[in-house]
Amino acid sequence: MHSNLRFWSMVPPALAVCFFQVAAAHHSTAEFDYTKQVTIKGTVKEVQWTNPHSYIQLLTGEGADTVQWSVEIGSPSLNINMGWRKNSVKPGDVVTMNLSPARNGKPYGTLRVLTFADGQQLEGVAAKIKGFPAAPPTAPTAPPAPKGP
Amino acid sequence: MNLRYRCYLLLCVTALAACVSRPADVTSSPGRPDALLGTWVPDAAPRALLTSAGAQPPLSKDAAKTYTQRRQRLAAGDASFDPTTWCAGPGMPRILTMPNAFEIRRDGDRLAFIHDWYRWFRVVDLTPGEVEPPLPLTMGFPVGHWEANTLVIRTVGLIDATVMDASGMPHSEQLKLTERLRVLPDGRLEDRITVDDPETFTQPWETVLTFHRDGAAHVADDVCPDRIARGESAESVTALARTGGAVKKSAVPPPTPAADAKPLAASPMFSGIWEPKTFGFMVPDAPLSKAGQDIVDRNAEAMKGGHIMQTAWTSCRPGAVSTMTMPREKIVILTASDEITLLFEMPRMVRRIRLNASHPAKLEPGYVGDSIGHWEGGTLVVDTLGFNGYAELDARGQPTSAQLHTVERFTPSADGAGIDIETTVTDPEYYSKPFVIKRAWKRSAARHPFEYDCMENPRQEDFENAYYIRERYRPTCMRVEGEGAALSKVVCRKAEK
Repeated sequence: MHSNLRFWSMVPPALAVCFFQVAAAHHSTAEFDYTKQVTIKGTVKEVQWTNPHSYIQLLTGEGADTVQWSVEIGSPSLNINMGWRKNSVKPGDVVTMNLSPARNGKPYGTLRVLTFADGQQLEGVAAKIKGFPAAPPTAPTAPPAPKGP
Repeated sequence: MNLRYRCYLLLCVTALAACVSRPADVTSSPGRPDALLGTWVPDAAPRALLTSAGAQPPLSKDAAKTYTQRRQRLAAGDASFDPTTWCAGPGMPRILTMPNAFEIRRDGDRLAFIHDWYRWFRVVDLTPGEVEPPLPLTMGFPVGHWEANTLVIRTVGLIDATVMDASGMPHSEQLKLTERLRVLPDGRLEDRITVDDPETFTQPWETVLTFHRDGAAHVADDVCPDRIARGESAESVTALARTGGAVKKSAVPPPTPAADAKPLAASPMFSGIWEPKTFGFMVPDAPLSKAGQDIVDRNAEAMKGGHIMQTAWTSCRPGAVSTMTMPREKIVILTASDEITLLFEMPRMVRRIRLNASHPAKLEPGYVGDSIGHWEGGTLVVDTLGFNGYAELDARGQPTSAQLHTVERFTPSADGAGIDIETTVTDPEYYSKPFVIKRAWKRSAARHPFEYDCMENPRQEDFENAYYIRERYRPTCMRVEGEGAALSKVVCRKAEK
C-alpha cells in the first residue's frame, strides 16, 4: 500500500487525470480545476468512508445561506496510508477545508488540506500530486450559490 | 546399540523430521480439511438470523430500536438500509445468508471462499498469529486454524455499513465472528457462528447455517449491475422467496476437464499474494484498425470536451482484459492440480484457469471469458476466449470485441519473487494484427488482500458530465445527497423495457 503513496507523489498532473479517469473507477480529476483553490469552513454533516472515493459533506453558512459542500477525500486504502482513520473526521466536527473546486461551479471539490479547530491537519490525495503543491489554508471565501435543481 | 533401540531412535528421528519439515500441513490426514472443499449451496437462506436455539439475538436497547425501524421500513418495501440493494458488498456474515452458492478452495495455508454473488471472495489465512486490521472491510480479515476436523475462522475488522442479514440486523465495527466449520455425518457443511459485538448485543450469541452439495450448482461470474439493468433483484433473497425457497442453479453446467487431462502438481512459484510492480493504465502503440481508431478518436474528442469517460471499469463491470492490462493492489493466486485461481482485488474479479482442459464447444460470451491453461516448462500459458466485447484495454478506452482472443504467458522468476506476464492480444475487429502487452508482478508479504467495493458509493456527481462508451455502462444506482439535515441515500433506476 505504501507503494501507492510513492506512486501518487510521482504522478504528473496530465497522467493523473487519465489515471483517475479509469483506474480510480467512478471518478475523474477532469472534474476539478487544479489551478484553483477554495477554502471553506463549516460543520461536518456526513462522512462517507467508501470506495471508490470517500466524501465529506460539509455545511457552510447559516440559516437560509447554508450550503452543502461535497468534498472528495480519496479512497479508504489511500487515506489510511496518508494517516487518516475512519473516525478521523466525524459528523459535528468544525473544520476548514482547502480544496480544488469542481469545474462546474457547484459546491463540490477535492480535498487538499483539512484543518481542525485545534490546528491539526490532514492532507488529501490532491495535495500529493506532483505539480500541484498544497497551499496553506487561507481565510474562508464566500461559497458559491447553492446547487441548482 | 541393539536393534530395538535403533528402531526406536529411527522412529523418533523420522517423526521429528516430519514435524520440522511440515509444521503447518495438517491437511493431509484423511477426512480433514479437504472435505470442506468444493461448492456448497445453502439449505436455507435465512432472511433473519436467529440464535441456534431459535431465539431472537440479544440486541442492545439502541440496536433493537434500529432493527425495529428497519423491519418496519422493510415491511413498507424499503430495503435501502442494505447495501446489497445497490450491489455494494454484503459483507460478513450477510453473504452467508444469501441463497447463492459458494466454493471453498485451498492452497497450502490459504483458503478462499468464492461466492456466487458479484465476484465477492474472502481469503482465510491459516498461518499462526492474530491480525490487526488497518481499516475495516466488508469481509474483514479472517484467520483460521484447525481443531481436529473443524475449521475455526476468526474474523475482525468488519465495516459497520453492512447488515447482518436481509432483515437489517445491525452490527458495529467491534463485531468479531468465530466460525466453526465442519462436515456433518450426513455430508452437509455446518457453519456454527459465534457473534460477539458488545456495542450491538448484550452478550455473545451463536447461530448455525448449513449447506449441502449440489452437482448442478457452480460459482459463476455474476455482475450485479447487469441484473439491476435487466430489472432483476440485486439481492437474490427476494427471488428465493418468490420461488418458495429454491436455490438458484446455474443454467450452464460447469465445464469438465478434457478426457485426456493428467493431474499436474500445484506450483509454489505461483501460489501466494502478489501486486503489480507498476500500474500500467495505458497500452501504447496498439495497432488499431480503422474501426478501433474511430472509437479512440471519439473518446478523445469527448474527453477534450470536458466529459468524464465511463468505461466497463468505471461502471463496475470490468472484464478479464482489465486484469491483464490494469490490475491494481493485491492478486491472490491459488494453485491446484485442476485449476489456477486468480483473485483480483482491483478490479474485483475471480479468474479461473482450468488446467489441461478444452474450451467448451458452445461458449457463452462473458466478461471473464473461458480460460484454459497448460505448462510449458515453468511458464503457465493461458488461452482465453468467449469475451462479450464489453471491456476496454486502457484509459483511452481502446475497445475490444467478442472476437477478442488472449494468450497470456506467466513466467515466474527463478527466486519466486516475481512473475513476468506477456499477453498476446488478437482482435481482428479493432486491431490490424496481434500485439503483445507486458506486465510484471512482485510477491507481497501481505496476509490478506484488501477489497475494492466498486459499487459502494455511486456518487451522482460522477455521472453528471459523463460520456458513455457503451450504453450498458450507464449507472444503475446513484447516491443522492440529502438537502439540509437529510442524509444521502442511494436510488436505483427501474429497468428499461
